[in-house]
Amino acid sequence: MSEYVTDSNRTFMDRVRETLRNFGLPRLIIAAFLLLMFIIAPFTGVNLWTQITNVINRFSWNVVLVLAMVPMVHSGCGLNFGLPVGIIAGLLGATLSIEWGFSGPASFVMAILIATPFALLFGVAYGWLLNKIKGGEMMIATYVGFSVVSFFCMMWLVLPYKRPDMAWGFEGTGLRTTFPIDKYYGGVLSNLLRIQIGRLVIPTGTLLFFALLAIAIWAFLHTKTGTAMTAVGSNPTFARAAGINVDRIRMLSVIMSTWLAAVGILVYEQGFGFVQLYNAPFNMALPAVSAILIGGATASKASITNVIIGTILFQGMVTMTPTVMNGLINLDISEVLRVVVSNGMILYALTRKSEVTR
Amino acid sequence: MNGKNTSSPKKALAFVGNNAVPIMFIIIIAVCIPISGFSPTFLLNEIMTRLSRNAFLILSLLIPIMAGMGLNFGMTLGAMAAEIALIFATDWQIWGIPGIVLAMIISVPISALLGLACGRILNAAKGREMITSYIISFFMNGVYQLVVLYMMGSIIPIIHNNVKLPRGYGVRASVDLTRIRKSLDGVLAVNIAGVRVPLLTILIIVGMCLIIVWFRRTKLGQDMRAVGQDMEVARAAGIDVEKTRIISIVISTVLAGIGMVIYLQNMGDMATYSSHSQIGMFCIAALLVGGASVDRASIGNVFLGVILFHTMFILAPRAGAVITGNEVIGEYFRVFVSYGVITLALIMYETKKRRAKAHMGAQLELEQREEEKR
Amino acid sequence: MKKRRFLIRAGVIILLIAIGGCMMVIGRGHTVYFDNKKLEYEGQQLDTYRRINVFVNGEQVAKLSAKERGMASCVGQSFHFDIEATKEKGDDPEQYSFDLSLPYGIDGVIVNLPAIIAGLPQEAWMSEFVPMVVEEEEEEEIVLDDFDMSSDDI
Repeated sequence: MSEYVTDSNRTFMDRVRETLRNFGLPRLIIAAFLLLMFIIAPFTGVNLWTQITNVINRFSWNVVLVLAMVPMVHSGCGLNFGLPVGIIAGLLGATLSIEWGFSGPASFVMAILIATPFALLFGVAYGWLLNKIKGGEMMIATYVGFSVVSFFCMMWLVLPYKRPDMAWGFEGTGLRTTFPIDKYYGGVLSNLLRIQIGRLVIPTGTLLFFALLAIAIWAFLHTKTGTAMTAVGSNPTFARAAGINVDRIRMLSVIMSTWLAAVGILVYEQGFGFVQLYNAPFNMALPAVSAILIGGATASKASITNVIIGTILFQGMVTMTPTVMNGLINLDISEVLRVVVSNGMILYALTRKSEVTR
Repeated sequence: MNGKNTSSPKKALAFVGNNAVPIMFIIIIAVCIPISGFSPTFLLNEIMTRLSRNAFLILSLLIPIMAGMGLNFGMTLGAMAAEIALIFATDWQIWGIPGIVLAMIISVPISALLGLACGRILNAAKGREMITSYIISFFMNGVYQLVVLYMMGSIIPIIHNNVKLPRGYGVRASVDLTRIRKSLDGVLAVNIAGVRVPLLTILIIVGMCLIIVWFRRTKLGQDMRAVGQDMEVARAAGIDVEKTRIISIVISTVLAGIGMVIYLQNMGDMATYSSHSQIGMFCIAALLVGGASVDRASIGNVFLGVILFHTMFILAPRAGAVITGNEVIGEYFRVFVSYGVITLALIMYETKKRRAKAHMGAQLELEQREEEKR
Repeated sequence: MKKRRFLIRAGVIILLIAIGGCMMVIGRGHTVYFDNKKLEYEGQQLDTYRRINVFVNGEQVAKLSAKERGMASCVGQSFHFDIEATKEKGDDPEQYSFDLSLPYGIDGVIVNLPAIIAGLPQEAWMSEFVPMVVEEEEEEEIVLDDFDMSSDDI
């Protein structure tokens, strides 16, 4: 910024404009909106601390799913619209861990362990496919995700799950659409080292777990393979010339994203307290994609900071608007607002020329 | 690549390869028909109903494909326009054919406006038209909900309580279209060997086909094909590429709107917040099942697609019930097949594009080398 | 050339609006209710008929005993119907036929048959049907789901 200051020809407005452009107008609007919500909240009879607790909670549930975007964006595979592929791996881990009789914290660890081979398997197949269709990743990822989810809609019915907590009792076949997991890993992270100050509750365990993953990803991106991944993303031709195996690096990034998505859905479930099967994973990809975009990422650039800021802004908006709107004008348009804002953000990213073309 | 000298088994193999999806569907259907135990008359009746219901909607997809913009997932916008139009026609109590005509007329400006916006956004996202049009349909769904769920009845006048929600604003989850139900299909309906044929609807669809055939030969149609083949070449030839692309999306959206009115008059009941959400997916899947690809689709693909896809749609739940004892599994199966077919078509299109690119790259390299030699 | 194009476009738009307007007139649906009920009009007492059969387009739409109400749909503003009225038991049925012009703004029109047979003025036998306001206890739940697979028919 210092070079701008020395430039005497630049007016103040120019500089404001420059800063705005760097920050991105949509992001600014959302941030301002969220701030406004926090300011209005106390006047509508809503307890501010409860609201902040809600926002932190929602943040902690969703942030790992958003983090799952990072590796694929880094390697130039674009926004991971195929998040449901990883989510299905996570759901397999969750259901199998419960089916095999694990409970309490052990079921969470086992769910991750069981989900891992599935995530690897799916990741390899998914990565192989994405290497075949470079340039068309986003659309195909979307539909691969849908195909996998709808295929597993059948599988949840057919696979011989028996545990009465999650299978349909009467007919004896198939899993329920939604089932509670408080006997298993519900809250295992969020109740860990939980801090409570008055009405403010901080799910320390979940935040720590995310920090652990985030640091791991951050560290990985600074290893030799990690920098190679960034190189592949920013300039594949150059990377190839430098002797990097582009396809292998891309494959690795897809596997990482898939595994993170698998872990992400487990983290989400432990916070939410329920496992949702069948059509639920359909609705998971777009919020995560728009969250990271709101955080300042583009289809070719994403950092851990983007993940954190984006998830706070997005989840903040989603959590705050219903309560504040209801308190203010007794009209809840939050759902509509969420749809418009999240998809508008994706559209904004898709239509910015310089950012997406590689 | 060199189709002239290949022997006939190779040709046959190529034919199977190019038509893998329709052939696969014919096999699925051939297996499912005896399992399901449906009578031929029942099946033919069902297929006829679905053909007249869906064909117009699917025809709306052809023009953007011609202009090289891929599968128009934004056809949902036209469907939303049609639903808004039908809400008005129902609320104003315009019944029968006049109600349908009025709904079509109201839908046109709304569709055109939405199509214009969609086309402009797509021009800013060249090369990513499909994912962008897909996201636009979600975005507009939010706007649609804002209008229909909050503005209708409060800002936009809605008179009748059977349309309005009890709270005083917003439209009910289901709008009763009994008064216009099948009034288009009922005109000139004939019975051929036990199969009810809605002749007027069929005539409208055939008319639309003829218009599309004619349109391809017009100056605008030729321009669109040129733009679809190569934007840069078209621009060099003096074609306004951006405008041509926008027009193709506007036409597609308007046709989708009219098609949705035809679709809903057949259904006789409108799910205000979900009728449109899946329609794009099913129409695109049907077109692809008919052997179309992302960059090539003909009228023949539309009809073959409707017949094959919808026969599968009718058969799947029953066949699933017979095989596994669970009807739901068949319902999931057909959704899976729809998504699977679209995925497959997208993959085939991208690999083909990539192969062509690699081929061109290799040729360029060869030329360069020869240049160096000299 | 440009001017001609503009004129054609304007013409098409005007034509569409005209067709739309036309449709709104000829397609306006009404429900007509036939009452075989007692009526008092300017001191005149009108008694019910023992039986009235109502025909629209040659089809019987209602068969009314005393104090009964029947209904028929009508698209457009002009409505023609025939009735066959029997005053007392054993009487010969009298034939009447009427042409009504229905007001555009009213959805449901009640026609009092004894009054219309007696040849009273329109305000005597025509009235607006006001549907009973049904108090709905439950607010309708609107589920917004982009991937609603529940529609089993497409």
